Amino acid sequence: MLEIDGISKRFGSTVALDRMTFTVRPGELYGFVGANGAGKTTTMRIALGVLAADAGEVRLDGRPLDAVSRRRIGYMPEERGLYPRMAVGTQLRYLAELRGRSATDARAAADRWTERLGLAERRSDEVQRLSLGNQQRVQLAAALVADPDVLVLDEPFSGLDPVAVDVMSDVLRERRDAGAPVVFSSHQLELVERLCDRVGIVRAGRAVAEGTVDELREGSASELVVVAPAAPAGWADHLPGVTGSRAAEGGTVLTLADASETTLAGVLDAARRTGPVHEFRRRRPALAEIYRGTVAGTTEPAGHGVAA
Amino acid sequence: MSPALRPVLLIARREFAAKVKGRAFVVGTLVVLLLLGVYAAVVVTLASNEDTARVGVAGPATALTDPLLRAAPTEGLTLTVVPQPDPAAGEAAVRADDLDALITGDPVRPRVYVESEPDADLERVIVDATAATARDAFLRGRGVDPSALDAVVSEAGPAVVAAEPPDPQAGQRLGLGLAGAFLLFFSIQTYGAMVAQGVVEEKSSRVVEIVLSSVRPWQLLLGKVLGLGAVGLLQLVVLGGAGLAVAGAAGVLASGAGLVSTLVSVLVWYLLGFALYATIFAAAGSLVSRQEDTQSVLSPVTITVLLGFVVGFNLLTSDPRGTPMTVISLLPPFSPLFMPARIALGVAPVGQVVLAFALTLAFTAATLWLGGRIYANSVLRTGARVSFREALGRARG
Repeated sequence: MLEIDGISKRFGSTVALDRMTFTVRPGELYGFVGANGAGKTTTMRIALGVLAADAGEVRLDGRPLDAVSRRRIGYMPEERGLYPRMAVGTQLRYLAELRGRSATDARAAADRWTERLGLAERRSDEVQRLSLGNQQRVQLAAALVADPDVLVLDEPFSGLDPVAVDVMSDVLRERRDAGAPVVFSSHQLELVERLCDRVGIVRAGRAVAEGTVDELREGSASELVVVAPAAPAGWADHLPGVTGSRAAEGGTVLTLADASETTLAGVLDAARRTGPVHEFRRRRPALAEIYRGTVAGTTEPAGHGVAA
Repeated sequence: MSPALRPVLLIARREFAAKVKGRAFVVGTLVVLLLLGVYAAVVVTLASNEDTARVGVAGPATALTDPLLRAAPTEGLTLTVVPQPDPAAGEAAVRADDLDALITGDPVRPRVYVESEPDADLERVIVDATAATARDAFLRGRGVDPSALDAVVSEAGPAVVAAEPPDPQAGQRLGLGLAGAFLLFFSIQTYGAMVAQGVVEEKSSRVVEIVLSSVRPWQLLLGKVLGLGAVGLLQLVVLGGAGLAVAGAAGVLASGAGLVSTLVSVLVWYLLGFALYATIFAAAGSLVSRQEDTQSVLSPVTITVLLGFVVGFNLLTSDPRGTPMTVISLLPPFSPLFMPARIALGVAPVGQVVLAFALTLAFTAATLWLGGRIYANSVLRTGARVSFREALGRARG
C-alpha cells in the first residue's frame, strides 16, 4: 500500500503541493489526473525521493519510504531519459543492478522484458539508434526491470502508438493483478476510465476528488436524456427540479437539481404530454466531463476521501 | 560489500567501461603514445649525431696535427686529421665533402680552405691550435719547456666547497618533476572536464531522474569521480610508463634517480588532486542543463588552473626553492600539481610535504561537501542555469 500523506511543497513563492493526500492499495490501478501544473509530477518525484517534501510523508506498507524501500518502486519519470550511447540490454541490466538486483537477476529480467516488449532484436543497439516509440518501450522496461513491488508512472501513455498502448495497458493490469499498487498519471481520460480501479483528481496541488469512476459519477450532477421527437424547444425549462436543459444526443439533456422519484415522474409526464417518447434514461457522464466539472470548480468537489 | 557502496561501484564501473571501450580513449592514447615515440626518436637521433670533423693538413701546417688533436677534446669535438700529399689534392677532397677543412701554410697563420664556412667548433679548435703553436715557439725561444709549464698550470685551480652540493642528477630530477607536473595537469584538466560533461549529459538526457530514484546524489557523484578517475589513472600510467621507457631507452634517464618515489608521489597526488578538481568540475557541470552551456561554467575553473599551472611551471624551472614556489606548492588547489614536482626535485622538506598534504586533504574534504551539496541541489533542475545561491541552499535529505 502506497500512502501519500499530507505532502506540501513550495518552489520559491509558488505552492506546488498543498497537503496532497491519497492512497493506492495493493492490487489497485490508480489513475492520477489533473491539469498541467496541478502537482502530479511533483507528487511522484517526491514519492521517489527525487525531490524533498516541505511537509508530509510518503509511506509504503505503513513505513516511511527510505532509500532502500524506494528501490522497490518502478518509476517512469515524465521527462523520459536513458543513456543515449548505452546499449539497450546493458542499460536495463545496469538500472536493475542499481536497484539492488544481482547481476544474474538483472540479466534475466532485461532479457525477459525486452522479449515481452518486442525489443529482443534491439538489445545490443544503442538507445539513440531506436525510434522514439521503441525508446518509450525501453523506458517502460527500465521501470519494470528491477521487478518492482510498486509502480509509479508519470504519463506512461504519452507518445505511444496504439499497439504500444495495448501492451502498456496489459502490463499495468498484469502488475495490478499480481497485487502491486500501480499509480499512473495521464491526460487520456478515456484510458483512465477504462483501466483504473480508482481515480484521483488534483487541482492546484490538492486532491479534490477521489473514488471509483462510478463513485465520482454519483457525486456529480445528475443528467437525464429524453428523446421526444414532437416536443417543442424549451419544453422542459420550467419543470420542477430541473435546473437546465440543452439539445444534445438526439434529444434534450436535462440537468436535475435532484434525481428524486417526484422529479423523474414529473419530467416523464411532461415529455409524454408533448407526444411519443422514444428514450428516457439517466445519463452517465464520461470521466472527462466529471474532470472538467471538478477542475473548473463549477461543481462541488465530489466523491470519497476528499482532502480539501 | 556495504549496501551503500555497491551502487557507487556499479556507477564507477559503468563510467570506466563507457570511456575505456570508447574509440576516443583508445585512439587518443595511441596518438599521444605515437607523438611521444616520434619525439623520442628525434631526441635519440640528435643525441647520437655527435660533433665530428675531418680536416686535412698539408705542407708546413702538418706541424699543427698534434696541437689540433690536443685542442679538439676541450671543444667537445671528435677530430680526425688526415695528412694530404699536396694542397690541390686536399682542396679537391674538401669540395668532394670528404674533408671539412684543409689547413695549409704557416702553422701560426695558416690558410684554412672550407666549402662555405667553417663549423664554429672546428674554427675554435684551429684557433686554439695555432695559439698553442705560437705560445710554444715563444716559450722555447726563451728556454722554457712548454710541457713543464702545462704541468704546472694543470696543478692550479680552486677547491670548491658547497654548503649544498648540487645533485649530479639534478637535470634528470627536474625533467621528472616537470613531466609529472605536466601529466597531472593534463589528466586533471582532461578527466575533470569529462566528469562535468558526464554530469551535463545525464542532465540533458534526463536519465539522472531515473538514476536518482535508485541512488543518492552523493553515490552518483562519487561513482562518477571514481570511474573517470580510474580512466585518467590508467592513461596516466600508460603515458607515464611509456615516457619512462622511452627516456630509459634513450639513456636520458638513469634508473634510481628517485624514480620510484617520484612515481608513487605523482600517483598519490593525482588521486588527491583528481578528487578535488573532479568535484569542482561536477558541481560546475550540474549548474547547467545543456552541453552548449558547459563551457561557460567550466572556463572560470579551467582558466584558474591554467594560470596557476603556467606561473608554477615557470617558477619550477627558474627558482624551485624560492618563496613563491614554496607557497604555490603548499596551497590547494595548486599543491597537487607542484608538490610532486618539488618532491622529485628533492627541494621539498618533509614538513612542507606533510603540510601540503594535510591542507589539500582538508580542502578536498570541504570541496566534496560543498560540491556535493551544489550537485545535489542542481542536478535535477533543468532549464535555466542554476544560480549559486539556489545551488547552495538546503540540500535534499
